Amino acid sequence: MNLYLKLLSGSLRSRMQYKMNFLVSSLSYGLIMAVDFILLAAILQRFDDVKGWNLYEVGLLYGISSVAITLYRVFCVEVHNFERYMVEGEFDSLLIRPVSPLSLLLTKNIDLSRIGGTIQGILILVISIIGLKLNNVELFLLLIYLPVTIISGLLICFSLGLITATIAFWTQRIKDFQTFTLYAPFNAANYPMNIYPGWLKIIFFTVIPVGFMNYTPVLFLLNKGGDVWNLALPPLVSIVFLFIALRFWMFGIRHYHSTGS
Amino acid sequence: MIQAQQLNKHFKIYETKKGFIGSFSSLLSTKHHVVRAVDDISFSIEEGEFVGYIGPNGAGKSTTIKMLSGILHPTSGKITVGGFSPQKKRKEVAKKIGIVFGQRTQLWWDLPLRDSFDILKEMYKVPDEKYRQFLRLYDDMLQIGKFMDTPVRKLSLGQRMRGDLAAAMIHDPDILFLDEPTIGLDVNAKTSIRAFLKELNENEKKTILLTTHDMDDIERLCSRVIVINHGQMVLDGTLEDLRKNIGLPSVMEIQYRVKPNTDDIQLEGIERMTWEDEKLIIDYDRSLLSSPLLLQKVTQWGEPVDIQMKEPDIEQVIQKIY
Repeated sequence: MNLYLKLLSGSLRSRMQYKMNFLVSSLSYGLIMAVDFILLAAILQRFDDVKGWNLYEVGLLYGISSVAITLYRVFCVEVHNFERYMVEGEFDSLLIRPVSPLSLLLTKNIDLSRIGGTIQGILILVISIIGLKLNNVELFLLLIYLPVTIISGLLICFSLGLITATIAFWTQRIKDFQTFTLYAPFNAANYPMNIYPGWLKIIFFTVIPVGFMNYTPVLFLLNKGGDVWNLALPPLVSIVFLFIALRFWMFGIRHYHSTGS
Repeated sequence: MIQAQQLNKHFKIYETKKGFIGSFSSLLSTKHHVVRAVDDISFSIEEGEFVGYIGPNGAGKSTTIKMLSGILHPTSGKITVGGFSPQKKRKEVAKKIGIVFGQRTQLWWDLPLRDSFDILKEMYKVPDEKYRQFLRLYDDMLQIGKFMDTPVRKLSLGQRMRGDLAAAMIHDPDILFLDEPTIGLDVNAKTSIRAFLKELNENEKKTILLTTHDMDDIERLCSRVIVINHGQMVLDGTLEDLRKNIGLPSVMEIQYRVKPNTDDIQLEGIERMTWEDEKLIIDYDRSLLSSPLLLQKVTQWGEPVDIQMKEPDIEQVIQKIY
């Protein structure tokens, strides 16, 4: 823990060395998120019903997934940008320490400029929950369950990010893979899964299990179907998926090729 | 301390074609050739030895060091470092070794040197008292105190290398792997780093494995030399064994005002004389022909305007071992 704080404060102070850059990147990211939000609201205003999901119900899905995804972007920035370690051969320096390379990656940096996205997600959640006008029991259950689904979602995002990063052990570059394994599924998870064709749904509930991040539990919480199992699935799936991702990562490290001196 | 048995590391190099379609098809193709970066190398290094590990670029030096430190997994063969396999017990081995890569700093680039040390202290769980001793000792040996509070990116190459060396010693490892620690340094910086390494080896009894391109490093530091070329071991012996094979290779460059006729000059110890316009480059063996004597000779042949001693090219030196 002590080491975690030391490393983190180190990385923050490194960032602060370039004050202007830090401010500009935070500001521009906040601006992008704001535009994104306005666009979504505009779209939802036009279609007040998406396959049986109203504005606030979609808002709930969107809020959960965007909080989970942005938390991943804040805390797992070095996993997300793992390509750099392969292309520049920096991974060597993680392997010479008596600490696991994954913990070194996770402590090396946090991307505070992305925290604006998390705040925006929380805002959407608050607005949606107020708009849903749930009865007391439903509201209580939802509020209790929110942290569980967000943490499960974060774990699923992290596992996807880690699996994609592991691919870099063979391909060096992963930017193109990320479009398919991260950006597209993350986007898709913002909306109800029943709008997608069958084959896509199968993918989102198996190899890229982003459907479990929010759709599965919200279905039950909003009385749209399913049973109490829908609440147990997200943590279970996320833990199994995390286990698979970690095993794949360990397998990848064994195949690490390093770069020429 | 360090054992390697029949160590092999083969890389598969897949052929890549140009263009988008080409790179896509090469993703699926299995056409490749195998590069034997390390080819059946065995050695054993005892406690307190100072071993030079030399060879031309791409000979497999760095690959070997990366396998010994647990970064790479060998294709086949067995390694033990400080009693553990670096592949199976990487973290245990990491506590026993210090590593310096001359081409790449292990320090936190944007932070003052002191902060890098603080982070490493936590990482290796060094007790406070030991850490204070470390700072005192290494300020003595490397004079790092003067730039402890300067961000690493503002240090000179020589200062940075001293910082890197100290950082590698923070957990007081028994074994040191140094991959070209003197690369790019000026003479003064090289001298101070050599003095430091010698002290580490002689007084602190550290076991050191050093790769270098600098013949001077080898001659001044190493009691034992392992030479590899194309991944294979070509020599494992004392510095004397190396000398028997290659002598003391040296290079002198003389710029003459007018090019003298040197066709009939026969001098024992001169291996090669090449002309570049008015500049004469002499490769000679210092064990057969002393530098002062050669200096005297070259001034007799003509009128030199400039004379320089050059580092011999290690690639050429290695070729002589066959």
